[in-house]
Amino acid sequence: MIRPIAGDEAPITTRRPGAVDLFMFSGASWLLHRIHYDAPFTVEHEGHPGLLIHGPLQGVYLVGVAESWLGELARLESISYRHSGPAFLGDELQCGGRVITVDDKGVDLELWARKQDGTLTTSGRARMTWLS
Amino acid sequence: MALIDDAARSWAAREHPVFEFEVGRNDIARYARAIGSEDARHYDRAAAREAGYADVLAPTTFPYAIRMHAATLVAPDRLEVDGSPTADVPPLDTRRAMAGETTIELGAPIVAGDVITVRKRVADLYEKEGRSGPMAFVVMEFVFTNQRDEVVATERFTRIYR
Repeated sequence: MIRPIAGDEAPITTRRPGAVDLFMFSGASWLLHRIHYDAPFTVEHEGHPGLLIHGPLQGVYLVGVAESWLGELARLESISYRHSGPAFLGDELQCGGRVITVDDKGVDLELWARKQDGTLTTSGRARMTWLS
Repeated sequence: MALIDDAARSWAAREHPVFEFEVGRNDIARYARAIGSEDARHYDRAAAREAGYADVLAPTTFPYAIRMHAATLVAPDRLEVDGSPTADVPPLDTRRAMAGETTIELGAPIVAGDVITVRKRVADLYEKEGRSGPMAFVVMEFVFTNQRDEVVATERFTRIYR
């Protein structure tokens, strides 16, 4: 694999976590917030249309975009991301990334997750350093 | 009207217990399955060793699971009705909380057998005037170190209250 150049885009990864996936992420992280597994509570008490896809799980998806694309060449050094809107059970997230700059030591990336209608749910930046 | 008062400031300044997480192979496998990873280095010791690690390798985002255990592996009476840990709820006269920015810096890799210590503090507490009134920003910082005192990760996480 050759090093990417500015503007190169990662292959889009499509994620559509089901109820079991949401539960597994809550369980494995010991994240007890009910809006990720208790649908009646989430709808009736919190006023959401359905179970929410965890923000940190979307962070995992962004890390996955960077690592599955460039992990053979570089190691993730840092990532920062923020959420701009909720994603719910049943939503399909298109996760992608693009090279912003490349230098001798590594690469800076822009990363994002969008819903099927194009709405941005999570966006961020990452720095990866070349392995050799 | 100011949201952040002396009670909120002393809440932010309080000491948090240090938490130790002994990383087992099953913890790593469970978390790796939960994020849908098929990477053999998370499940198979031989594959991890071939890749240069002493034992199975934790996924990059595993520190998040460690710091959630630190916050929520508590007695049920220390949880709010929505499942969030009472100790993390600031004394603010607000109705809604939202996640703000998360920043993670990674250091040494985490492998099975490591003992990870997580130290938590409120790194910043400030407020801004938003369109719908004042908003308070709570910046939590988590520093993760291993048994050799190497930093494996640092996370800063902002929660916004309004």
